[in-house]
Amino acid sequence: MAEFLPVIGRPSAHRCQTEVEVTHGVGLHARPSVAFTRLAKTFPCTIEVAVDGSADWLNGKSIVKIIGARIRRGTRMRIRAEGARAEEAIAALSELVRRDFDEDRKAGRADGRVDGRPA
Amino acid sequence: MAAPRDFRGRPASPGRAMGPVHRAEERPAPAAGDPTGGDARAALAAAVQRAIAELRALSRRSAPESAGILDFQIELLLDDELLAPALERISRGEGAALAFAAAMTDQIDKMAGETSETGEADGEHGGPGDAFALRAVDVADLQHRVLDAMAGRTRADFPEGSVYVGRDMPPSVFLAHDWSGGGAIALGAGSMASHVAMLARARGVPMVVGLGALPGEPGEPLLVDGTAGTVHLHPDQRLAAPSPAMPLEMGAPELVFSGVAIAVSGAATAVSGAATAVGLFANIDTLADLDALDPARVDGVGLVRTEFLLATAAEALNEERHLACYRRILAHLAGKPVTLRMLDLGGDKALPGLVESDAASVLGERGVRILLAHPDLARIQARALIRAAALGPVSVLLPMVTLPSELAAMARLFDEEAARLARQGVPGVRPPLGIMVEVPAAALTLDLFTEARFFSVGTNDLMQYLAAAARDNPSVAHLHAEAETAMFRLLDHICATARRLDRPVSVCGDLAAEPRAVGRLLALGVAGLSVAPGRLAAVRAAMAAGPLPTGAGPAGARTEG
Repeated sequence: MAEFLPVIGRPSAHRCQTEVEVTHGVGLHARPSVAFTRLAKTFPCTIEVAVDGSADWLNGKSIVKIIGARIRRGTRMRIRAEGARAEEAIAALSELVRRDFDEDRKAGRADGRVDGRPA
Repeated sequence: MAAPRDFRGRPASPGRAMGPVHRAEERPAPAAGDPTGGDARAALAAAVQRAIAELRALSRRSAPESAGILDFQIELLLDDELLAPALERISRGEGAALAFAAAMTDQIDKMAGETSETGEADGEHGGPGDAFALRAVDVADLQHRVLDAMAGRTRADFPEGSVYVGRDMPPSVFLAHDWSGGGAIALGAGSMASHVAMLARARGVPMVVGLGALPGEPGEPLLVDGTAGTVHLHPDQRLAAPSPAMPLEMGAPELVFSGVAIAVSGAATAVSGAATAVGLFANIDTLADLDALDPARVDGVGLVRTEFLLATAAEALNEERHLACYRRILAHLAGKPVTLRMLDLGGDKALPGLVESDAASVLGERGVRILLAHPDLARIQARALIRAAALGPVSVLLPMVTLPSELAAMARLFDEEAARLARQGVPGVRPPLGIMVEVPAAALTLDLFTEARFFSVGTNDLMQYLAAAARDNPSVAHLHAEAETAMFRLLDHICATARRLDRPVSVCGDLAAEPRAVGRLLALGVAGLSVAPGRLAAVRAAMAAGPLPTGAGPAGARTEG
């Protein structure tokens, strides 16, 4: 369901946007938010999130912003990225949301990494 | 071996102890408190890094569920959005600890507010079980962890059992040190009326001041005789060496009050049965003071100097640290009343990064003036005090009050914080507020302080302001003794005014601990005396002797002094 929207006048790889529905448990509480922002921070591009038609775009690499948005189950989450590897970032992040943040696969390490790692 | 050498100073805290010399660094106070420079940013960044490292280590050792929470906290600390408000405060001139504590408190407030607003409306996830409300608790936890990390950095401790040798000693250094292994203090300058000397006497640490030249090189054995006011380098070359680093004789209170025999055991009952029913309370400066305090032998704690309990900015801004200290004291007193004085900063009582040591501030910003100028700090302490009051009988004293409007402003602050805690569902009781009577202007207009529930006379500061003689300046120390007539006239006025207001007056300065003054204080009609634990026995005995007729007059009583 992700649609990649190339921006006029720029190579398509530099700006992307998608929309995905949150299906995980209560929504983006502590652990899923950590998984999301940690994954977001692995990409050099800017990543922003807006919920349910809101025009407010929040920094997708900030746990304060993401958890502050109170993104509950059933919320339609728009994710956009701009800069290097934007397309790849959008694909990875929307996949993470669809996989319910890998909650079952690797408890406590939702991004599947071995160790918590700074940005 | 090196030859023995003797130095003469002035006694500041009795007892003798020997240990290796620790030379205090003579460089100026670290710039940790530089409010605008990059130092505050660096201090915050370092504390955050330390907190992250601790959390990572914890996370590695934890079960997956706990690790998830710890990862969340790590992620919060790595988030520039979280630290941005603190950094903005720093750029406006605040110190690292204050900026961070206040910014986090704002963040917690915001989160708790959101929870209570959306709580009921949101059937499925609302209420205390709200997964999104966990954040406020986590942020509070982080706040404490980072402040602890900051406190750790500012403590410059020295080896246990050694003799601290320096020009002067900041109270925070005294308080951060573990004196249970012995040790002593030898100062080139300093004064026996300083706060650190008061702490040393209360803790039984021998101390000599006014030595001029500083004796000894690091590691050389130094014997400090706080009773005689002398120190001896390499004393082992001359006399049989005492067991190193152990106090040879502790306290020796009979040296200070040579006229008073140690209390007869029946004295306590005699006093409590007396018609006057004057309470005897203890002063507490550190949690270690509790060890020397038998709660059964006192009517409660009349004064907790909280600025000594929480000796760094990071600790003083940490609500949980406040509460932990207060809880310890309340538990030890087992239901007896405890009067906690809010942070009395200023003068020689500094909190690096928040309030710098400045002799001029004795007549400037100190006590309640600082609390009102730093409402973030005052609110943190007020919250801890309100929470403590839910655990036991707590009263709160405001230091250095000059005008009724200062009391009114603090009363409002307490009301607001009590309401805020109630909104957040945190148990608390708004404690009664009283004022320290130590500014002559307040002492002379006590009838205007109708909002005060009780009064406590701080005789040390009242005397220094009354006699215009700094308490830590040896060259004017004699004025304190000779201005006692003025002091007792003012005390008489204070007690009479308080009686008309139907408010109790207690005395908590050094005067209350001088047996020769106790009879006269009782005659004035004070409701209580509050003294260091080490003075309780002597004061108890003096109280048993009963009030001294006022007719004896100031002159008659003074001859003994």
